[in-house]
Amino acid sequence: MTNKYYEFFCPVKVVAGKAALEHIPFELNGLGAQRPMIITDKGVRAAGLLEPVITACEESELEIVSIYDDVPPDSSIAVVRDIAGIYRAEKCDSIIAVGGGSAIDTAKAVNILVSEGGDDIAAYSGAGIIKHPLKPFFVVPTTAGTGSEVTAVAVISDTEKSVKLPFTSSFLLPNAAIIDPRMTLTLPPHITAATAMDALTHATEAFTCIGKNPLSDAYATSAVKKISENLLSVMDNPKDADGRLELAQASTMAGIAFSNSMVGLVHALGHATGAICHLPHGLCMSLYLPYVLEYNLESIREPLGDLLLYLDGPEAYAATPANRRAEAAIAAIRRMRDALYKKCKLPRTLKETGQVEESQLEAIAALALDDGAIMFNPREARLEDAKAILKKAWA
Amino acid sequence: MLARRMQPMALHARRLYVQLMFQVMGNALQAISEVDAEAQQEASALPVGFLFEMMVMPNGPNLIVEHLGDGRFRYHGSSAPRKVNLSIKFKHIAHAFLVLSFQEKTSVAFANDRMIVDGEISYAIRMTRVLNRLEAFILPRLVAQRAVKEYPSNLHLPEKILSASRIYLKVASQFVETARA
Ligand SMILES: [Fe+2]
Repeated sequence: MTNKYYEFFCPVKVVAGKAALEHIPFELNGLGAQRPMIITDKGVRAAGLLEPVITACEESELEIVSIYDDVPPDSSIAVVRDIAGIYRAEKCDSIIAVGGGSAIDTAKAVNILVSEGGDDIAAYSGAGIIKHPLKPFFVVPTTAGTGSEVTAVAVISDTEKSVKLPFTSSFLLPNAAIIDPRMTLTLPPHITAATAMDALTHATEAFTCIGKNPLSDAYATSAVKKISENLLSVMDNPKDADGRLELAQASTMAGIAFSNSMVGLVHALGHATGAICHLPHGLCMSLYLPYVLEYNLESIREPLGDLLLYLDGPEAYAATPANRRAEAAIAAIRRMRDALYKKCKLPRTLKETGQVEESQLEAIAALALDDGAIMFNPREARLEDAKAILKKAWA
Repeated sequence: MLARRMQPMALHARRLYVQLMFQVMGNALQAISEVDAEAQQEASALPVGFLFEMMVMPNGPNLIVEHLGDGRFRYHGSSAPRKVNLSIKFKHIAHAFLVLSFQEKTSVAFANDRMIVDGEISYAIRMTRVLNRLEAFILPRLVAQRAVKEYPSNLHLPEKILSASRIYLKVASQFVETARA
């Protein structure tokens, strides 16, 4: 018998598809909540994405008691404290996060404060600090990428000490994730592309890194299939609601996969690049994915070869000899990146971003070695390895 | 206490092994931090006075080392002089045994939820790399390959024999000192 062991956990109710938003009142009511607060950002409001949520609730006589629409892209402990203050003053009893990674993380942190008490979110930083279920909490993602609606973590900046505080607890998971195609219909092309590549990276790393397990594998392969079948057609036809829903579901599935089996070196390099050069996360994923897979190749030949079926379809899979499938999978990802470059100029190399200096690569490599994701990469990456990958990704 | 009635010796031996292995690792961590430039470089990013613990839930056994600065460690046995900064906690003695008998890699044990990290994750990663380095040093190559993801390529045979013998010497002498104290 092998030592194989794994854990898999996802208690989030997924409410997905046409008119999914209209289920919010019923679902909230089922949790005994009557006074929800919406936490979102200015971009979501400007895109008109709040209206369908509010209308769906009002039609069912559920009043949205308060709307906070000023979550910044990089949320801070001061923002969390302010929102918690409003929540208490308005006597809210539940939270609906509408937005991308930052709004969702902020809402998770607010939920800690309003459920556990106090004004100092930093006191709850770390793993396993929270021991009780929090207030009813729903997430309505407006990007199809981060998977934050199914992850048990939140990251909030302490701007005074300039550190990022991590929060980890399964109680941070929302009660429900509402996946409605209306929410991603108006995403601009380059964000559609970058966030989908983030989801593709979640699935690919979940499937090839050392934490992989049979349940997360099932979610990961389905996510890869949905992305490779729908991303390019949605790029050509952004109003394709069915395609949008497929991408949104893929993002949630990839989120379930990686929150149970972790990500690897692509994310370690991407987090470091984001911190130093302020490039969007999804773009970083797209930049590094093929280069890291090449670096990991001999350790992940089998699972990566299996992914070819989902990346390129059964005919290409069958036509490729087993010992070339891993390389063919990387080639398929490269083709996807080339197509995205054609359609929306999504950069394929660090140089193409125009926002990175070659002199910064050294610092990126050093920072990546401190990132938590590197632990789950199948190869033990050292500083020299990270530098070599960055050099390849440069141009 | 049912389990104890069933296989008292085997369970006892496993606990003793884990206890002993923690001692060996604690001493060896201190020893390699005095001779190995790479381990020093890895550890030097830790704050001075940083206390690292590896323990089995709920109440031990455990090992505690302190970073003295410049990548040097001091082994404190099983009692911390103050609150530890980073603790790697095995959920059960059985899981600690798997890792400490080199049947399961430390990183795999993390990935598979065998243990939890209490503290800064970037420090946990550094400590895992130091532990990998340590295992490569103190174990025969075949066993080490199973215990770490990649056997370091810059651990050439002469270096390995030379430093390892120095380490064994140091571990042995520290053991004697610990026994006397
Ligand atoms: Fe990601």
